[in-house]
Amino acid sequence: MATILPHPMEPIEEAEDSKFDHIDPLGIRLGTATRLDFLRIFMVDTQIGTIWLGTWGVISAMLFVAGLGVFILGGLDQVGDSPWLLVKYFGNVSMAPPDGLGLAHSMRGGGYWQMITTFWAGSVLFWGVRCWERLMRHKWRPFLLFAWLSAIFLTACIWVFHPIIVGSWAEAPALGLNGDLQWAQNFSVLWGNLYYNPWHQLAIFFLLGSCMLWGMHGATILATASESSHHEDAEIKNLTSGSQKAALFWKWTMGFNAFPKSIHDWLWWFSVGVVLASGIGILSTGLVTNDWYVWGVDHGTVKQYGPLTRSAINQWPRPMPPLPAPGGYVPAPGN
Amino acid sequence: MADLDFESAYRKPGNTLFASVLGDDPFDFWVGPFYVGFFGAVSITCIALGIAVLFIAVGQYGDWDLWRAVIPSPDRSVGLGFAGFLHGGAWQAVVILATGAFVSWGLREVDICRKLQMGFHVPAMFSLAISAWVILQILRPLLMGCWCEGFDLSFTGHLTWVSNTGFRYMNFYDNPFHAYAVMGFFLTAMVLAMHGSAILGTYNTDKDPNVEMRREDSFWRDYVGYSIGEYGIHRLGFYLAVYTLVMSDLCILTSGTLVQDWVDFWHPF
Repeated sequence: MATILPHPMEPIEEAEDSKFDHIDPLGIRLGTATRLDFLRIFMVDTQIGTIWLGTWGVISAMLFVAGLGVFILGGLDQVGDSPWLLVKYFGNVSMAPPDGLGLAHSMRGGGYWQMITTFWAGSVLFWGVRCWERLMRHKWRPFLLFAWLSAIFLTACIWVFHPIIVGSWAEAPALGLNGDLQWAQNFSVLWGNLYYNPWHQLAIFFLLGSCMLWGMHGATILATASESSHHEDAEIKNLTSGSQKAALFWKWTMGFNAFPKSIHDWLWWFSVGVVLASGIGILSTGLVTNDWYVWGVDHGTVKQYGPLTRSAINQWPRPMPPLPAPGGYVPAPGN
Repeated sequence: MADLDFESAYRKPGNTLFASVLGDDPFDFWVGPFYVGFFGAVSITCIALGIAVLFIAVGQYGDWDLWRAVIPSPDRSVGLGFAGFLHGGAWQAVVILATGAFVSWGLREVDICRKLQMGFHVPAMFSLAISAWVILQILRPLLMGCWCEGFDLSFTGHLTWVSNTGFRYMNFYDNPFHAYAVMGFFLTAMVLAMHGSAILGTYNTDKDPNVEMRREDSFWRDYVGYSIGEYGIHRLGFYLAVYTLVMSDLCILTSGTLVQDWVDFWHPF
């Protein structure tokens, strides 16, 4: 098989300015485009840079850095203002959200969480504006923007819509590496085991399906790239031998095959399906039922393993569990 | 299925694994769109037998509901021995037949690759996916000394197994391989969206395909400072899927064998 190295020994490709680019006062391309030849051992493109700055990108980056700064301040607050301890416990510091839907009364009692969440929400939204602006500049159809907005939809369901529906910011994840994981565990237990939420099931189907589709599509293209199946834009117009083999492989294997264009419809909808199904699953939690296991038994999808506890089922709004004292996680001295 | 007018040029007998060893493959033909081959015959036999066992067992258990129907794994008292048909024997039969079907399906993919003279990346990736099944249902039960460690074959039943297994080792979210695997799954979904958007967003808008490729490259360089290239993106996706599967394998292989408590696991750190 022929070895394929992308752009072997080609000159640097400089970005071409368009009049679109000069509208933006911060519209400059940062850095100098260079080639990192060692990347060739991974068989990927070797050119790094340049990157477009742009007003929207600058706003997005500033909001991200602001959120990160508040996060570091909150982290220092939790470990006794010791930078070394912050590094040591970085996985465990977490900014917990406040109870109720109002403004937090103190920084430790949810103020950090509200500030960081606001900054980072602004950051991803302005990154979406930057995405849209660059897509228009390069005359892409806006598929990437819709995918980004779908991802924002899921995070908004988790951090904003669901807490508002059940009446407390405390339903949202604490910010921090471990805080994320604990929220995922606690949320499932609190709402009666999320595995029996059909939207969660559909989301996991899409998530594992995304991995499977990358396995199938990536492997198919790598296996036929010596016959140029990786030039997908060209193959969409004119199916050459590489793509013919790729199509026949799947037709002979499973009786069905996609084509260079349609496979990317499958890829896009599976990946977007992950976040859309997840978001609907989060929204329906608390609206459809307070206990997904009981819901599954009632709807005949789950075997009943024992007597049901229905005490909380019909209460609205759902009674919240007692909250831990504000201040978050404080590691024991000398631990 | 759309008729592929170039197909007749590729449908040639010979060049199969079975024929290269024994000189002739008696199943070297197509049925409709499907290629059969020796390993296809083995695979379809395993699939048919497995489905038969499945239907007989579900009929005996009596719950035909698609969500709830279950083929339970053997009781703990069975250990690594044979179980009675309704006490885990059906599960053992289905696991053996399914493993046979998966492996011969992979070898049939090798045959198809040989016929089409393409790389073996797809069967290689498929065998990695089979490794997850083999570890969950065969290797880990062997290491733990009990077939009861395998998961029940059922729609919501296997979800119950996943939930229980997570709590059995205290908190699976504290399993680092689980975290790396989940990260891999989300990364595959994100990179999949980026690649799909790039192709759907740019195909067939210029007469010259080289112009389209340059538009893709220059967009990604503007947007994130780097374009991995139309070949490199498939490398990245392929190895992200490999990474995710390997981490998933390690995640379940270490639970209960090396580590009993993933919360306590972090104590020395």
